[in-house]
Amino acid sequence: MATREIEHTADIGIEVEASDLPTLFSSGGEALYGLLVDINGVRPKEEVVVSVTGEGWEELFHAWLRELLAQFNLSGFVGRQCEIKNIREGRVEGLVRGERLDLKRHCFYTEIKGVTYHDFRVWKENDHWWARVIFDV
Amino acid sequence: MTREPVRLERVGECLWEIPRQGKMRVPGRIFASEELMAGLKDDNSLRQVMNVACLPGIVGYSLAMPDIHWGYGFPIGGVAAFDLKDGVISPGGVGYDINCGVRLVRTNLVFSEIEEKMVSLMDSLFSLIPSGVGAQGAIPKISMGEEKRLLHEGARWAVERGYGREEDLEHMEEDGALKLADAELMSDRALERGLKQVGTLGSGNHFLEVGKVEEIYLTPEAETLGLFPKQVVVLIHTGSRGLGYQTCEDSLKVMSQAAGKYAIELPDRQLACTPLQSREGEDYMAAMACAANYAWANRQVIMSQAEKAFLTVLGISPRELGFSLIYDVCHNIAKIEEHQVQGETRRVCVHRKGATRAFPPGHPLIPKAYRTIGQPVLVPGDMGRYSYLLVGTEEAMRSSFGSTCHGAGRVMSRAQSKRISRSLNVDQEMNRLGVVARYQGRATMAEEMPHAYKDVAAVVETMDRTGISKKVARFRPVGVIKG
Repeated sequence: MATREIEHTADIGIEVEASDLPTLFSSGGEALYGLLVDINGVRPKEEVVVSVTGEGWEELFHAWLRELLAQFNLSGFVGRQCEIKNIREGRVEGLVRGERLDLKRHCFYTEIKGVTYHDFRVWKENDHWWARVIFDV
Repeated sequence: MTREPVRLERVGECLWEIPRQGKMRVPGRIFASEELMAGLKDDNSLRQVMNVACLPGIVGYSLAMPDIHWGYGFPIGGVAAFDLKDGVISPGGVGYDINCGVRLVRTNLVFSEIEEKMVSLMDSLFSLIPSGVGAQGAIPKISMGEEKRLLHEGARWAVERGYGREEDLEHMEEDGALKLADAELMSDRALERGLKQVGTLGSGNHFLEVGKVEEIYLTPEAETLGLFPKQVVVLIHTGSRGLGYQTCEDSLKVMSQAAGKYAIELPDRQLACTPLQSREGEDYMAAMACAANYAWANRQVIMSQAEKAFLTVLGISPRELGFSLIYDVCHNIAKIEEHQVQGETRRVCVHRKGATRAFPPGHPLIPKAYRTIGQPVLVPGDMGRYSYLLVGTEEAMRSSFGSTCHGAGRVMSRAQSKRISRSLNVDQEMNRLGVVARYQGRATMAEEMPHAYKDVAAVVETMDRTGISKKVARFRPVGVIKG
């Protein structure tokens, strides 16, 4: 499993590599949180169940990231660990452990406006899963 | 993404053309000096100009201003006009931050009158205007009913609740409200995100800047706008906050399906679009108008809070302060406008994503007070150097659908900027530049340091040389608050 930041002039992107789909989704979620805050300072105090649907792996991955970002934007919930409980074509269900953002304790990095479709890909290569996504910041 | 190589031909001193090729329906045109173009040749933004040229119903050219840089979907600095009958509307041509824009406020003061109080002033501004991620609470949380009224009324909603004055409304594009707004089309999530964020700056490249007039290039125009040397001015750059971002996201789902339904071939999924004359297109325009109106109300409340800070810290009367709006521009928006296309007057939908309207003298859509000089255009630079005020021209109507640049444009990724900033003490650097800075996030400051941007002077000069807009005045920042 590996995550690397993509150099983009205006925005921020990530590329995630994983040995299987559940890891791709959990790593993608954790990478998103890692762009928002220093997740080393986030305590896994609360658990939030996140369940989304989407047609095809690409759409499902996009929907998963959108939902995690929405939870952050609506309630300030920031995750430390994502665990995928169930994943099948069209649906993913995950458990995210984390806490509400507290600017006094957490080192906040950047606000993300949206998960874009620009140059967005999810693909399988040499038995590994990959995802590439650019966020509007 | 279009895969053909980018063929570029120089067609003017500061004008470059990408001839039609592949699925492009019109050529691309980029306004840039030779030096600015040299910085773009390895950049994906030129390919994005080509992608936009592939969309149905585009007329004239797929355009880019000299602050062009790699965005998502449209390039930032992109302008494209679409025929009302055959053309499309694309949320990717407006952006997540719908009606992100800038307003410029004048005062009666010269900088020497506030210099000693700059620290207190910036502290007060920072306390009254929430900034940073999830910033909220500038004004008491509003009810859903109030929010829907705000979404229809725009800046007027704020003025009628004591934030600013009636005359401010005349100095905004569309008088601070797009009439097409329909709040019933907004999602629950968009409405929820909007409840507590009226009057907040947010994060990223948004800011409030206190500046001084450093140079005046066109005296009669400056006098018409109420500007004089060394004058204290305030620039406010922000948009529609979470409500706008959510509106864009909601629309992308609809647009992806619509593109399939109407058999629109997309070179980039972020360019998802729908015919202007479709239910999906009409719904997006009405939702976009709501978000645009939210942005105007947001900037109006921020301006009013800023006035409070000045009055409290300086201990002078509103009359002595003379805090009044010069103009407010949108730089992420789509609007229905009349333009000349191949010799005939046509109503088209102009997308400006990171570009500013620049209508000429005499145009009926600019305030009567400015009708002899042209529409004021506000072009912020990076937070350490300078910002500009320009005016629109007839040449802009002929060459760029009445549009010009919107800012400096980034030259460096955020990650690269942070790496360079590691060796800098951000506070010391801002002090060295003579700017009192107050901010929430050190990481945002590191990403936004002046080295991450082009020199806005080069961008503005290109537009001045092509005659698209004329330089009126330059401001130097002396204080900034950021998220």
